[in-house]
Amino acid sequence: MNDSRPRLLPTSAELAVATPEGVVFRLPLAGPASRLYAMLLDTVIVLSAVNGLGYLVYWIFAKVPGFGAMTITLAEFAIGFAYGALLEGFWNGQTIGKRLFHLRVIDQSGLPLRIEQAWVRNLMRVFDALPIAYLVGGISVLSSPIMQRFGDRVAGTLVVRETPLSAPTEEAWNNQKYNSFTMYSALAMRLRGAATPELAGLIQDALRRRNELAPYARREIYRELVAYLQTEIVLFPDELVEMLSDEQYLTNAADVLFGDQRLSRIHG
Amino acid sequence: MILDLQRFQAQERPCWMKLESLLGQLEGRPDRLMKPAEAELLQELYAQTATDLNRVTHGALAPELTRYLERLVARAYAELYYARPTRSELWQPRRWKRIFVLFPEAFRRQSRYFALAVLVTILGCALGGFAVRYDPASVDVLLPADYLRNPGLRVHDEENGKARHLDSAQIEAAFSAQLITHNIEVSLLAAALGVTCGIGTALLLFENGLLLGAVAVRYTQQGFGLFVTAWLLPHGAFEIPSILIAGQAGFYLARLLLRRREDRNMRESMWEWLLLIAGLAMMLVWAGLMEAFFSQHHTPVLPYGFKVAVGAAELALLTVYLLLIGRRDPRAEALTNGLTGDR
Repeated sequence: MNDSRPRLLPTSAELAVATPEGVVFRLPLAGPASRLYAMLLDTVIVLSAVNGLGYLVYWIFAKVPGFGAMTITLAEFAIGFAYGALLEGFWNGQTIGKRLFHLRVIDQSGLPLRIEQAWVRNLMRVFDALPIAYLVGGISVLSSPIMQRFGDRVAGTLVVRETPLSAPTEEAWNNQKYNSFTMYSALAMRLRGAATPELAGLIQDALRRRNELAPYARREIYRELVAYLQTEIVLFPDELVEMLSDEQYLTNAADVLFGDQRLSRIHG
Repeated sequence: MILDLQRFQAQERPCWMKLESLLGQLEGRPDRLMKPAEAELLQELYAQTATDLNRVTHGALAPELTRYLERLVARAYAELYYARPTRSELWQPRRWKRIFVLFPEAFRRQSRYFALAVLVTILGCALGGFAVRYDPASVDVLLPADYLRNPGLRVHDEENGKARHLDSAQIEAAFSAQLITHNIEVSLLAAALGVTCGIGTALLLFENGLLLGAVAVRYTQQGFGLFVTAWLLPHGAFEIPSILIAGQAGFYLARLLLRRREDRNMRESMWEWLLLIAGLAMMLVWAGLMEAFFSQHHTPVLPYGFKVAVGAAELALLTVYLLLIGRRDPRAEALTNGLTGDR
């Protein structure tokens, strides 16, 4: 459709892909731990399949066990390589383990991986698995900015996380009708302008997980967030801050950041 | 630009839902084929959602909505820009049969890497042979296994059937499977070691050559040249070239990775590497069967002369296969080399 390759903007935890239309989307990368769990699950599946097949083969070759052993040794070897390559190649970059752990192998341009890439990255496992327990592959993942093992580097692929997402619903951050931050509209505007998406997400998570946090931990986290906002982002007057608890401060901030974001609201 | 998120979401949500549903339908189809009307609708919804993503990214702090839209855009982008192979393309039996022709073609295209693999192995052979010939002390280091150090004992045991653990076709069958899997794994490692800029591949080939040269000279020195030839040639005629082809694949991979940025035909290059691997795996299946069922039988069961003749015939057939099968008009060959970058 279009010859131009997407621009890659890798960060430590995600890959940003700029499409030919100039739209940038980010793909969260899978860390070594989730990949290891998926691989262990796949190993269990392969071993179970091979064992099941083994019983069948030995039953069929009961009178000629040597040929049974030959069949099962070759089948085990072939399944070991073909399981990952065929499933990833034909099942849109996922094995059973990867699907259960919400992982997917894709081309590093953000597109689905191709059959030959699936084979290359799986055959390269003989090198990544060296010397024991995927040590070479693990070191490669940790040293790569886009978390690629050597098989991925050769095949030009990477593994992304794909947790199920649905369209977010509206959240009422402040049930009270009055938000004292709106008295200081210039400061509220500054808060909106200076807060990064990461910081806004942090405030959002801290408030959402209120009931999951132990009281002491909650107090500490809220206190640190307020201190950070007051020193690094915007300095609301002391007389206002002293009247508010840390939680109320963060609720007001979240209302400014995520609530009805029209200027009219800020002006009250 | 500051967005009224509530209004924005209420307005745009139907478009996102529609795109989500269309993507669900398309991703659920085995062949992923789109009708023209669907392609047009997908393009339209993708453009709208991408615009929405841009607006949210630059006009609002809504991390969850951004993540959702990013996922949606990524999925639509993959559907629009990726040309999926259809099932019929993948499962054409004729295409898979072509591997028997494509493999020798790939071998010839990358013959310079084969020559390099041969050179490294010959260097190893020469050093191994030279060391055993002129430095008897090196025998213990190069040939640690007792049966390799003492050819007389080995030949005596073999000819009297004492060294044979293979007393039936069934055990030979099980043994052949072990040989096949082990050899393929070692060859695959040699090919994969190309990622070390070919250094690992070269070391593995050199070590292999070293052992081969040491064994050949040790046995010949003590008057068992015919035995060792008859022992190794029937399976070695396929096994040794396949290890060399693994080295060829390793050096090819090293070159490929070094010039990856300039390579516009990465896809073809990967197929080329895979073809070499597939070809050597087929060769090693034959070598494993020969080693288990044929090579381990000696005089008087199988005369040495006969074994050497079989091995030489195999080698001749393999040479003809690798050099002549699939050979086309030289001008057409040159054109193909040009198209695949003559890597």
